[in-house]
Amino acid sequence: MTNTTNPTAELGNSVGIGSEIYNQVLQHYYSEALLLDHIRLKEWGATLAQDLKYTVPVRQTRTVQEIEESYIRSVMHMDDDYGSIMGRIMRLSGKSAWSENPPSRIRRFVSNVQVFETDKADEFASVNYLLITRNRFDDDFFDLIPCQRNDVLRVAGDGFQLVRREVLIDQALLGTPNLSIFL
Amino acid sequence: MSAKKGPVLRDGTAVADLVDLDLQEVKLRALSDQEIYEIEQRKIFGKVWLLLGHETEIPNAGDYVQRHMGDDSVLVARARDGQVHVSLNVCPHRGMKITTHESGNTQIHTCIYHGWAFKPDGEFLGSPVADQCMHGKMLSKQELGLQKARVTLYGGLIWATWNHDGPSFEEFLGDTKWYYDMLYCRTNKGMEVAGPPQRFIVRGNWKTAGEQSAADGFHTLTLHRWLGEVGNYQSDSGKKQGSELTEEMFGAEVSSPHGHALRCIDLARKIKKLTGKDPSELSVQEKLNALPPPGMTPDMVEQLAQNLSPEQMQVMAWMPPQVGGMFPNIIFEFLYIPQPDGNVVGSLSLHTYVPKGPDKLEFTNWIFVEKDTPPELREKMIQQSVRLLGTSGMVEADDSDTWPHMTLAAKGAQARNRTMKYQALYETGAPEGWPGPGIVNEGFTKDDTQWHWWKYWYELMMAED
Repeated sequence: MTNTTNPTAELGNSVGIGSEIYNQVLQHYYSEALLLDHIRLKEWGATLAQDLKYTVPVRQTRTVQEIEESYIRSVMHMDDDYGSIMGRIMRLSGKSAWSENPPSRIRRFVSNVQVFETDKADEFASVNYLLITRNRFDDDFFDLIPCQRNDVLRVAGDGFQLVRREVLIDQALLGTPNLSIFL
Repeated sequence: MSAKKGPVLRDGTAVADLVDLDLQEVKLRALSDQEIYEIEQRKIFGKVWLLLGHETEIPNAGDYVQRHMGDDSVLVARARDGQVHVSLNVCPHRGMKITTHESGNTQIHTCIYHGWAFKPDGEFLGSPVADQCMHGKMLSKQELGLQKARVTLYGGLIWATWNHDGPSFEEFLGDTKWYYDMLYCRTNKGMEVAGPPQRFIVRGNWKTAGEQSAADGFHTLTLHRWLGEVGNYQSDSGKKQGSELTEEMFGAEVSSPHGHALRCIDLARKIKKLTGKDPSELSVQEKLNALPPPGMTPDMVEQLAQNLSPEQMQVMAWMPPQVGGMFPNIIFEFLYIPQPDGNVVGSLSLHTYVPKGPDKLEFTNWIFVEKDTPPELREKMIQQSVRLLGTSGMVEADDSDTWPHMTLAAKGAQARNRTMKYQALYETGAPEGWPGPGIVNEGFTKDDTQWHWWKYWYELMMAED
């Protein structure tokens, strides 16, 4: 995933839309969105691989010639692994995580899912779009968090485990007051 | 009566009446009000020294970043001679923003509207089609440069002010410089940014974050109590609410008549855990070797003596500044974070809360390491900082959810006349044997530092333009 502007360039063969694997991946994303939207965080945690890397680069406004440099990976908005995600879940499952207690009302709309083979038979790469709508308290507006997720999923039992997720958000100056939520 | 004049708002309310100097209360009206915001832009953000970044963000000639001084966008750029310049990012021709980029490198900043061109130091180079003389003949080239701010570098941090004749940066820091030197100027090569800052919007007035940064210790016990429940300060013996956190926060607080504040936290418990010995039996050097300051390894500790006085070393090994503010809109966090394996990993971070109207602030979060921090520790520090502070920071996320509520509350017809209270006062004085200057009090925490913050806000708001 070194080539950000053409993330599919270094991936393997495309897995056809409607094929069995594709449908399973799509099912995984719909199930994942449902778990997260309904704050079933521990169940979501069970779908993560222990070698997970989960990152959200900072974005910058740069010239079109410098698009690649507009993705900042030295300091990111999130820089997590399995252990730290589990730590976040533990915090959010406690009683005093005020930034999500009372919780935001959130929907995760997953679309534009493309699936690719990788050099490992049991791992598939996916490039997909995510639109998050987030509402808190009496706000008469929604925080919108549109982003692209570059994922790697590993076959595990009947489903998948998330191995790698890089979330490319579309705001340089993020319009939501925190990322106490999972993307 | 002459001492009590100052600005009067359109509904007849005097700014002077928002602050009760005897009872140490501030009316909520002060928090969120368009008129007060506009006065602050002139009297505070137009006057004091403001933090814009760190010189390691722009290491090469021509490097630049776009930042804000209050509402104004500025260009922070390094010229060919290596000097850092700060100029208003507004074209003197027709008011177009000159650079729309967040960062980059160029020797010529050309306005995309009519093509007027400027050097990194803000000087006017020329306009296109020279024979047509687009810039006219009424003003000289010297007069057509960008408005320049006064700049100083301190510990590599870039500071600027529009107040060309005002106090020096050292005068602005006053006695607290002795302590900030211990943070920003303690190693031979100095700090560097780990990368560009995180930036995000919080729908709160900048002062909700600014006054909290002036060393509000009490809020940690409740707003951040998850730390004691399930986080890094969890303890079986600390089941009582916040008791473990309280012990971890004991130390001394430094106040400043200029609103700067430092919470100096006693390392004794940590050093005892690490060495098994009573810290009073250990020398300054032994304590620093056992628990080097954040970003440093034991073999870097010898650098401290080359940069700090023996008295500063004594405080560094005893009660180093770990969190606090710099007036008006800065928090520093130089934290010693306990790890599950019993070790300590440091985090170094600075935030600015850039005002974006009376009800909005931009949270800018720089994460630092020392230039000499070894790669493995550097990676741990950056990850830990991102996980605890800033955008997704498990600690600071709770703050970002608090400030908007205060800002909204301040709008109520009744609530705007209620007050914020700063009446928990120290009666202790400095710890015995404390060698540092300034207003120092020993204890867990009190309101003195935050009250000094408001008093300086008041002083600036009441001052003549």
